[in-house]
Amino acid sequence: MSLSESGGQPVANAPLAPSSGDAGVLVRARGVTKRFGGLVAVNSVDFDIPRGSIVSLIGPNGAGKTTFFNMITGFYTPTSGSIEFDGHPIVMKRRNGMKSLRPHEVAALGIGRTFQNIRLFGTMTALDNVRLGANVHLKSHWWDAALRTPGMLREEAENREASMDLLRLVNLEDRAHAWARSLPYGDQRRLEIARALATRPKLLLLDEPTAGMNASETRDMTSFIRKLRAELGLTVLLIEHDMRVVMGISDRVTVLDYGEVIAEGTPVDVRRNPKVIEAYLGRGAADT
Amino acid sequence: MTTLVVKDQDPYGHGIGGWLSHVGAVIGALPGTYRRELTIHRRRTVLLTVLVILLVTYPILNKLFLAEFSRTTFPLPLPDDTVVTFMMIFGIMAIGLNIVAGFAGLLDLGYVAFYALGAYTAAFLASPHWDSVSIVFLANVAPGFPGIHLPFWIIVPIAILVAGTFGALLGAPTLRLRGDYLAIVTLGFGEIVPVVFRNLADVTFNFSLGPISINAQHLNLTGGSLGINPIDAPYLPFTNLVFNASSGYAPVYLGMFLLVIAILFARNLERSRIGRAWMAIREDELAAEMMGVNTIRTKLLAFALGASFAGVAGSLQASYLGATTSDFFTFSTSILVLIMVILGGIGNIWGVLLGAIALTYVDKTFLPYIGQQVQQIAPSFPNPAQFNFLLFGLILVAMMRFRPEGFLPNRQRAAELAAHTQADVEAKVDEIVAVDAEAEVEASIAEDPGIGLDNLGPPPGQAEASGDARAPETIDEEREL
Amino acid sequence: MDQVIQTFIIGLSNGLIFALVALGYTLVYGIIELINFAHGDLFMTGSMMAFFLISVTFKLTPATEPVTMIAVILLVIAAVMVATAAINVAIERVAYRPLRNAPKLAPLISAIGMSFVLQNIANLLAGPANKSIDNLFPTTNLLSAFGITTIAVNFQQAFVAVVTIPLLIALTWFVDKTRQGRAMRATAQDPDTAGLMGVDVNRTIALTFLIGGALAGAAGVVQILFNNVTVYNLGFRFGLNAFTSAVLGGIGNLRGAVVGALVLGQINAFSDRYISANWTNAIVFAVLIGVLVFKPTGLLGQQLADRA
Repeated sequence: MSLSESGGQPVANAPLAPSSGDAGVLVRARGVTKRFGGLVAVNSVDFDIPRGSIVSLIGPNGAGKTTFFNMITGFYTPTSGSIEFDGHPIVMKRRNGMKSLRPHEVAALGIGRTFQNIRLFGTMTALDNVRLGANVHLKSHWWDAALRTPGMLREEAENREASMDLLRLVNLEDRAHAWARSLPYGDQRRLEIARALATRPKLLLLDEPTAGMNASETRDMTSFIRKLRAELGLTVLLIEHDMRVVMGISDRVTVLDYGEVIAEGTPVDVRRNPKVIEAYLGRGAADT
Repeated sequence: MTTLVVKDQDPYGHGIGGWLSHVGAVIGALPGTYRRELTIHRRRTVLLTVLVILLVTYPILNKLFLAEFSRTTFPLPLPDDTVVTFMMIFGIMAIGLNIVAGFAGLLDLGYVAFYALGAYTAAFLASPHWDSVSIVFLANVAPGFPGIHLPFWIIVPIAILVAGTFGALLGAPTLRLRGDYLAIVTLGFGEIVPVVFRNLADVTFNFSLGPISINAQHLNLTGGSLGINPIDAPYLPFTNLVFNASSGYAPVYLGMFLLVIAILFARNLERSRIGRAWMAIREDELAAEMMGVNTIRTKLLAFALGASFAGVAGSLQASYLGATTSDFFTFSTSILVLIMVILGGIGNIWGVLLGAIALTYVDKTFLPYIGQQVQQIAPSFPNPAQFNFLLFGLILVAMMRFRPEGFLPNRQRAAELAAHTQADVEAKVDEIVAVDAEAEVEASIAEDPGIGLDNLGPPPGQAEASGDARAPETIDEEREL
Repeated sequence: MDQVIQTFIIGLSNGLIFALVALGYTLVYGIIELINFAHGDLFMTGSMMAFFLISVTFKLTPATEPVTMIAVILLVIAAVMVATAAINVAIERVAYRPLRNAPKLAPLISAIGMSFVLQNIANLLAGPANKSIDNLFPTTNLLSAFGITTIAVNFQQAFVAVVTIPLLIALTWFVDKTRQGRAMRATAQDPDTAGLMGVDVNRTIALTFLIGGALAGAAGVVQILFNNVTVYNLGFRFGLNAFTSAVLGGIGNLRGAVVGALVLGQINAFSDRYISANWTNAIVFAVLIGVLVFKPTGLLGQQLADRA
């Protein structure tokens, strides 16, 4: 079940036209700091994600990658700093401290994500998982649902079609009616991506998408991510431990250690950076 | 490049005309839907049909021979018209609570508050209570009669609105709380509402601020512990058909009518984007929020919609009985409805309906009957009808321990609950799901429905699971009942 | 002013009884995060037992010799504590332990069921009517010895303090200083780790229910000697007040529960006196909702583990 075979049908989800703001930069983070009590998890990080790029965030365990991720998605509110997405501020300064958009608002702006430990809705079908992802774009109200108005039925039918298309994209169309938790691990990973795509994101955040995969699955996933960018014009932010993946597909790599950016640049630059080798590559990823 | 995008055009171009033609199409498609249901879920459909026919014809059957039969031949305690009407009332409540507790997974222990709000809405708007005014509109009383008298058909929507509004008001600050705290807060609300109705019978206050001065002496707002009566009975305008406690089986059909609407609404909600969002929240609230579900709003919707069902039930109950007092609305009523939901199968509309009917029967017909028998034999023995909640308490404890998913479970809920109660569950669930998948394939190719897993008689738990396994094929069919 | 002080004294006695019950809620919640809905009814069961022991078995009257009376009351307290502790442990075993890994709301629902069971058993055995005893204590005002006559502290109120305060101190000592107490705190913090560290988690939880049950039993005896009346559905109101106390003080926090109970005692007394007894329950519920919504960690913060 190779991802690259998943058919050449034009996959839609066309990202919306770039809106206002800096045309070249989709995410702009400045001086982002997050403290938990006395612990500084992320310290004054500046970070840009250019539109249409694949950017990786790497670093040893506990370096603050996932914390940073969670601040972009509105799950954590930074202690200080600013994050802008596509010209919209995700974090605002208020009189009584910082205020973040709620995660569902961030999702509506166009950020889709997957989780490090897969968090599908296990007892919903694969199809319903994807349909849920599109929830934010559905317009029918509860009274439409209760009365089953023609508009609502049409919207549901379209959503169903679109979701089937996404399942086709990740090669799961024949498992559409199986429970998410009954799917094999690799399928679950891809289903999570399909669900994230259903939110019609401009930016896709992938949290260790190849964790637990073997070499050939990893290869498939890598080419799939590339394909997503090429066909859907997505921007991708990746947290990944597998250096082959990171070096293979990233346009830019940012290295975090102890909550601070210690290096940034092309994969080649980063790989040569002595700080990185010391902090990270030296510790067991030497095989890259 | 655009096939996946849900078209951005406005999906509501059709208006009332479009909706009516849609309703027409649905009705037109019913025989076909039924035939398809029958081929796919033979057992379930047959069972359901029999039940519906029984319910609809029960009054006639009862009159014709059941009553006679139970009196002379076999002492079978049969529910009378009042009990059957209450089955409908509690059915509506159970379906409403199921939206809150079953679909969205929020434990509401004060559901009775909304029942009370519905009842008092009817009492305020269709009784001589406000005797300083006289507003009679399409009601069954003479013009000029003191009090506000609106017809039942206007009161029901108002009761929906009142109960739903209070549901939203209660939910807005509390739905951020964790599940058990929310349960206690709702319990508190359920206790406060009847107390307010009981205590506002003699209100005296003076308020003056500059030129404004309000002076009320011994104002009776709610009838106090006596409650409010008489309340106008529902009646069909332009006929003399009245639906109250002394009009036999007519109110059963009124209740049935409202119940069917309640079932349709709940069913439709379940199979919509809102239903999916509720299930997602129940399963993993955080992931749902991250996927763009406004969890607070969605939970609030469940709360308000669930409350409005109780509003309907309350207004029906008060209008039917012709009286209401705060004593009807106790914590034990909230729990009674909760047991109906749990017993039947939390999350499954047919299950909770069955729970409502069964428990109402036990509570209002069976236990009193047994009590009567016991009293005849041993007058000093305690009357079981007074200790119904001993039985119900035991049912709650036993259900939680041995069958938390209920007797007619929603297969999703069953799996969620099983996942928690057993250690080696995942394997087990996978097994069931594997059966599901097989069943699914079979269903799609099966010409002869007789070969389905249904008929092989698997153990009950799996039977439900596999029985429903074919559902995904049909769940998404848009015009199913 | 005297009236206010008098109300305060009534509130104080109420509060001390609430405290004994509230500790049961807070202990159990601190350990297994369960709102033990049946706890108030266990308290009622205790007061029912005390009623039968005092008025039927031992037939105490105000005329009974003081020495006999004190001995019998101590005996009744001990017997009821043992009985309610045993019932509580049995309930845990039957209704909650099998649900240890179930979704959190399942044990709560089971506890609600248990509450109805206890209530109806009491109703079945004792009947629905109020059960009252004579006031066993002399009605002299203890303060008259100091020349104060406008404010009264009677023997009943002193009795409440004499029984409850040592129990509260003993409990705090137990949880703070003993090995078993440490095991309880460890389990409260993290049952899995505590289990790995050699704490017998099941036993510790059973011990928690045992202590909570014993305190509820003592509270039941004190209650009937103080108010001279009990009834099968008394547990709901008391349970509500005690649970609100626990939440107000920060559920899981022992000292918080006592502080919360003392506050709730005053709220009850002042509401009864200056508003109307009809509204007291609604006011207590309003306090409960207010605390849960605006300060769910309570006045003194949560965590049996941290602060107990």
